[in-house]
Amino acid sequence: MEVWMNDEVPERSLLRYSRFQLILQGDLGPFNPGLPVEVPVWLAINLKQRQKCRLIPPEWMDVAKLEEIREQERKEDTFTPMPSPYYMELTKLLLNYASDNIPKADEIRTLVKDTWDTRVAKLRLSADSFVQQQEAHAKLDNLTLMEINTTGTFLTQALDRMYKLRTNLQPGESSHSQDF
Amino acid sequence: MQGTKLEIPLWLAKGLHDSKRRIISVELPKIYKEAWRTVFSADATVVDLHKLGPYYYGFGSQLLNFDNPENPEIAQTLLQTFISRFRHIMDSSQNAYNEDTSVLVARLDELERALFQAGQKGLNDFQCWEKGQASQITASSLVQNYGKRKFPEMDG
Repeated sequence: MEVWMNDEVPERSLLRYSRFQLILQGDLGPFNPGLPVEVPVWLAINLKQRQKCRLIPPEWMDVAKLEEIREQERKEDTFTPMPSPYYMELTKLLLNYASDNIPKADEIRTLVKDTWDTRVAKLRLSADSFVQQQEAHAKLDNLTLMEINTTGTFLTQALDRMYKLRTNLQPGESSHSQDF
Repeated sequence: MQGTKLEIPLWLAKGLHDSKRRIISVELPKIYKEAWRTVFSADATVVDLHKLGPYYYGFGSQLLNFDNPENPEIAQTLLQTFISRFRHIMDSSQNAYNEDTSVLVARLDELERALFQAGQKGLNDFQCWEKGQASQITASSLVQNYGKRKFPEMDG
């Protein structure tokens, strides 16, 4: 995540986040006014909130690129590889905290939402055909965690139930279990 | 007495059942018999499983414990019914946000209702994240009742 430092910069040119030493530790910087620097997203958001910098959006967060992605998603049956496994999370964070640094922020929001909707619809379609055909396993490439989590609990429970109903079909089970 | 017909609970029937000694034979409730099975295979999505059940799948699975010659067909119907209703449960539970869902769940049996809840949870969690509520720390439901109950004082 790149940030562009404003004129005020902390006196030390290297920032140490010693408060977090137990959990993580490292050095960032150097922070010089007027020059871009790469920082973790959490720091970028924090600095932005304190009005110490301007955020530079990732190169995929651009109307033309996202339109291309959306079209591909709508056209193909499979899932388009997304430019970031965290596209939803990054979009939300950046549009919430730094929309002034992002050209055409509203269009970007709509494009990402459209793409998300298409992907989730595809996921459900896949899940349904998986169930209809009683497949043993399936592989879906290019899904992100966010999409998986939205449908995941439902799907795993449903498949679990279905599996139990399928084992009913085997005759000669010594006893069907009491719990259901 | 031989030849008597009785209604007994499932657990008792299971206990008395013995395929070698034939103490009892079990008559299938009508929804598991052929006439209803045909209805289910025609279109299972419109059936009111709550009214007919409400434990259609669970009870049906337990029925398979008794050596009934129709068991393979019953097992198949249970599975196919589930499969054909799956889509509707998934779509409705994952789309209905902050709405009155009573109509959607009215005709679902208990197993399907539990699944519907799971789908709703996925949706609600996503919406909560979308609104930015996920970053607020809230007390876990496990500890919310601490301090509300006190152990009774021991008397003398």
